[in-house]
Amino acid sequence: MAGAFQFAPAIAALPFVSFLIALFGGRFMPKRGAFAGITATGGSLLLSAWMYFAVLSSGEPHLEIVHTFIAVTDPFTLELGILIDQLSALMLLIVSLISFLVFVFSLGYMNDEGETGLPRYYAGLSLFSFSMLAFVMASNLFMAFMFFELVGLCSYLLIGFWFRADAPPSAAKKAFLVTRFGDYFFLVGVVGVLGTFGTSAFAGDGSFPVLAEQVLAGETVGINTFGFDPQTWFTILGLLVLGGVMGKSAQFPLHTWLPDAMEGPTPVSALIHAATMVAAGVYLVARMYGFYALSPTALAIIAFVGGFTALFAATMGVVKREIKQVLAYSTISQYGYMMLALGVGGYVAGVFHLTTHAVFKALLFLGAGAVIVAMHHDEDMWKMGGLKDRLPVTYYTFLAGSLALAGIIPFSGFWSKDEVLFEALLRGMDNPIFFAAYAMALLGVFFTGFYTFRMVFLTFHGEPRTTVAEDPHQFGWNMKFPLVVLGVLATVIGFINMTPIAELTGAHIEFLHVWFEHGGEALTVEHYGALLEQWANYGEVHAGSALVVASGAVSLLFALAGAGAAHVLYNVPNPDEHTDKLGSIKTVLFNNYYQDEYQVWLAEGLTANVARGADTFDQGIIDGAVNSISGVSLSLGDRTRRIQTGDVTNYATLLTAGLVVLLVAVGVLGGWFV
Amino acid sequence: MIPSQYYLVLSAAVFCIGLFGILTRRNALIFLMSVELMLNAANINFVAFSIQNGNLTGQVFSLFTIALAAAEVAVGIGIILVLYRNFNDVDVTTATTMRW
Amino acid sequence: MMIELLLGVCLVGAVAIFLLPDRYSARLSFGISLLPIIGSLYMYATFDGVGNALLEGSTLAFETKVNWLSIGPYELFYHVGLDGVSMPLIVLTTILTTLAILSAWTPIDERQSQFYGLMLLMEASLIGVFAALDFFVWFVFWEAVLIPMYFLIGVWGGPRRKYAAIKFFVYTNVASLVMFVGFFLLVFGLGDSIQTLGLPAIAQALSAPGAVESIAGMPPNTVKAVAFFLMFAGFAVKVPVVPVHTWLPDAHVEAPTPVSVILAGVLLKMGTYALLRFNFTFLPEIAQQYALILVAFAVVSVIYGALLALAQQDLKRIVAYSSVSSMGYVILGLVAFTLYGLGGATFQMISHGLISGLLFLGVGVIYNTTHTRMVGDMSGLADRMPVTAGAIVAGSFAYMGLPLMSGFVAEFLVFSGSFSADFAYAPLLTAIAMFGIVIVAGYYLFAMQRTLFGQFSVSTDYEITRASAHDVVPLVVLIVLIIALGSVPEIVFDMIEGAIRPMTELTATQQADTGSEMLGLGVSFLGGVLL
Repeated sequence: MAGAFQFAPAIAALPFVSFLIALFGGRFMPKRGAFAGITATGGSLLLSAWMYFAVLSSGEPHLEIVHTFIAVTDPFTLELGILIDQLSALMLLIVSLISFLVFVFSLGYMNDEGETGLPRYYAGLSLFSFSMLAFVMASNLFMAFMFFELVGLCSYLLIGFWFRADAPPSAAKKAFLVTRFGDYFFLVGVVGVLGTFGTSAFAGDGSFPVLAEQVLAGETVGINTFGFDPQTWFTILGLLVLGGVMGKSAQFPLHTWLPDAMEGPTPVSALIHAATMVAAGVYLVARMYGFYALSPTALAIIAFVGGFTALFAATMGVVKREIKQVLAYSTISQYGYMMLALGVGGYVAGVFHLTTHAVFKALLFLGAGAVIVAMHHDEDMWKMGGLKDRLPVTYYTFLAGSLALAGIIPFSGFWSKDEVLFEALLRGMDNPIFFAAYAMALLGVFFTGFYTFRMVFLTFHGEPRTTVAEDPHQFGWNMKFPLVVLGVLATVIGFINMTPIAELTGAHIEFLHVWFEHGGEALTVEHYGALLEQWANYGEVHAGSALVVASGAVSLLFALAGAGAAHVLYNVPNPDEHTDKLGSIKTVLFNNYYQDEYQVWLAEGLTANVARGADTFDQGIIDGAVNSISGVSLSLGDRTRRIQTGDVTNYATLLTAGLVVLLVAVGVLGGWFV
Repeated sequence: MIPSQYYLVLSAAVFCIGLFGILTRRNALIFLMSVELMLNAANINFVAFSIQNGNLTGQVFSLFTIALAAAEVAVGIGIILVLYRNFNDVDVTTATTMRW
Repeated sequence: MMIELLLGVCLVGAVAIFLLPDRYSARLSFGISLLPIIGSLYMYATFDGVGNALLEGSTLAFETKVNWLSIGPYELFYHVGLDGVSMPLIVLTTILTTLAILSAWTPIDERQSQFYGLMLLMEASLIGVFAALDFFVWFVFWEAVLIPMYFLIGVWGGPRRKYAAIKFFVYTNVASLVMFVGFFLLVFGLGDSIQTLGLPAIAQALSAPGAVESIAGMPPNTVKAVAFFLMFAGFAVKVPVVPVHTWLPDAHVEAPTPVSVILAGVLLKMGTYALLRFNFTFLPEIAQQYALILVAFAVVSVIYGALLALAQQDLKRIVAYSSVSSMGYVILGLVAFTLYGLGGATFQMISHGLISGLLFLGVGVIYNTTHTRMVGDMSGLADRMPVTAGAIVAGSFAYMGLPLMSGFVAEFLVFSGSFSADFAYAPLLTAIAMFGIVIVAGYYLFAMQRTLFGQFSVSTDYEITRASAHDVVPLVVLIVLIIALGSVPEIVFDMIEGAIRPMTELTATQQADTGSEMLGLGVSFLGGVLL
């Protein structure tokens, strides 16, 4: 199986080829490049599966340098490499699977709907798959940054796919700008890491997390911490990189771009803005977890931001009218849970939730896409209703996804979210910050259950509220197939890591834990645990089975309570908008806590005015000084030339006067009068 | 022999008369005559120093100057004619178009 | 002989174009300008130079050195030759000139023979500037660049072309004077230790300790510092560095598109190239002593230039001001005086030449069709001009430093180099300068959204059609080059490194005195306030 790894570059290269095909040849092809993309991502999926089993059998990470970017050895070399270990193999599988399904789904959503500009669409999707897969395989932070930016570009291009309208280009700009703001910190972080360690490799003996650990352990490895205490400096670096993470993974306060990004085509939302690109941030934290584990401050910030975002975004999802908006806020909220998990030391829990969320959120978005197609591109849930009987496949798969999202046993979301909350609770028992994060996340579970089922009931239950909803547009296999695949996965994928059952029965069924216990010596979950224990004082807390069960039961109870509230309010034939009962809170929620307003003010009110001020200063003062220098010489010349009167007598007078002055001067200086 | 000083005084007087004419008169013809006076003042100097030094170079120079003055008068009269044709006047202060 | 061949082809070509009637000049000048490309690419492929042209232990490529004449105690040589810094710049010059000539086919419709003749004349002068290694020869070429540029702006420019041309000419000429004084202060300071004005001789004489004598009561170190800042001031105008940048937007706005391409793409690099050759190779210890002041100039240029770009409505002004911002990164890299700083700065010269060229060409194509450049006058152009719009999107993202495009490599190297530089507060100041990448993204995204996307509308009454092939080809060529340099930077960086590495070994690190430190901090606080 070792030979498998020599095909690793092809995982990313295949979508790149399909990008070129779609871009240059797409318009001549029957499906405008869709088949090239399907073939390429299908190939990537097969190769990823092969990689997965190769890692499973060898147990060792695969590390190779593919392309030397800058071949200077002093001060450091910049390389593009491939790192395939347990984490990236899992992520490759997720990304290529969702990409593949989204390409298939696009056949129905885009081609069958008669969209124009499809070569551009498929080129964008392929380029995204390439960048995302390359990001996942990145062997160092520098390369990760490069592809992190490229997925941002693809996101920009795809959100703005319908560029002839006004909203999508604006949303695309906002998405890029907000994430760019985060990426600025990331870039400073990358430059800082390279400047500090002289390497940005994730894995291997000379990798920067290992070096950082050696420094903290007191071994001299000759790094430059720019005059800071090493741990402080590592925290600063970690937080800088975290800026990029918060931008991409839409964490508070850089989350505002994601709801706007829903202007893009729904398959794009499913692929980029739910399952994969948004996961890049969380993945990056997991990727360099050995570094974050050294900094309790950074971890606490990650956990708190995560917990806060989980609750904050969930409350906003409660009042939205458009189905995709609900899902967007839900995505922000769910990534908050992952950040919380990573912050409290739940590496496996975070990655587990990343996995299940990718599946069920992609499912929900694709389901929403199906509903949108059925509703002739109307996203308003208040115009739907009663679609259950008319779109059964969509309904049952969407329901599976919703149950997973809400965290209802035994669907996948329950297991992962429960583990996140359990880890947070464990840490919260000895630190109030983590407990606050836990409490917020737990409250978020209630809202999650509520908005999820509000969405389900409004969309599928009750009576049809418009004529379109009575006779929805039907669609073909190419949209149903991805839904069914994901629906089944959303139901069962949680079984890979049923911690509560394992605790209760003692059965060894925590497969994901086992999976992450292998791999490169500095990349295993045990190693991370040891680091956390040593440097972040995350002591090993072994909770009893009772606590495990209680934690699961509490989170399930919250989820059920939320779902039940939704059932009472909205699962009636003709539901009302109950939002008016919220009073002024409703306005605040509809306006997303005025987060957009202040950010728009920062961008347009403040920066644009400062820029205008600078422009006035530049034109008035600086250029004014330049012009006034020339003005002074011009006006001096203007004065001087008036001596030239044209009157010959004046010239003669001047001549004579000049001669006299000269004579007198020569006389005085020459001593004639002495 | 008459001392050189007398010639020099004469020369200075003639020069001053010429200069006075240039500074005060507006008629171009008088202008031209004043210039001739100043030139002749220079000629007198040349000749006076020539005698004093016993060297004929100065006298040769003054001959040249006289020839030159004759040519200059031709040009000067020509300029005055053009002046009259363009401005209907030989007043030098009316022709002020060649200024800034 | 290769350099003389390049110069000869350009000069003979220029004369031929001047003499021929207008109707042949466009195609013929394009054909002639292909010859220098072939020549320079051949030179690039067979380049065998080692080390930095001015420093000891170097072998120059394509060197010619002929005794020319002597002035006073100084022997003047005709001395040209290339090293790893100048070679890529010459290739950049030849390629950009050809693309600019191609892009002139549409907009230039009067006095063609003179236009194309001047373009070739300018190419010759620019090649001369980058190749010359004797001050006298160099200065002749340096000044000779101004003449064609003056006429190109002043004759074929926009409504305020005379103002812009005179401003450009006077501003840069005064700057040359200041630089000249600085240079000769240094030369006289060296006294009898040099008998030529050859740049290598001067650089090597300066590297000897105590080489500079005191002049007019100024101690040697002051002489060096004064000379450094006079030269810096002179070159800063060309770069341009804030606050001597205001000629640039006017010149760009008034200049026709092909001239803007050369102006932004190559002319600005004369300034940074000269800074690298003169200030930073001659007097590295002064550069390090006053690093904070210089960095403050760089940071202010980056942030302030970007903010100015944000306030503009004219697409050309946006690109012009963002050039100010980008050239600030070059200064930052030079001051850092590390391998990646200097190398990144040089790489940025090449990269910025390509990217700003691409954007000016793209804006030019839009202007040729719509006859307006104001952001508010058009929207949704991507609908009618998809390829041009695509090229502008590519150029904008390249400017924003998107990975796999050359701008990213250049900026990343500069940042890496300056982050670990020796001057005080290097990481903090670098981080402030890096914020420029966010502002750049801001204004390009806004401009793209308003002009290219949305509902199609143009406020001028012109038929909007797809651009013709000779307008699009230069765009595509530049995009390919930008991506090539961004994906495989080694094709250029390897050569640059050869010339830069000896410079980094010129370590005469002295501690910055507190006065300059405070002043530098003061100016950088200005940048912080602007932020």
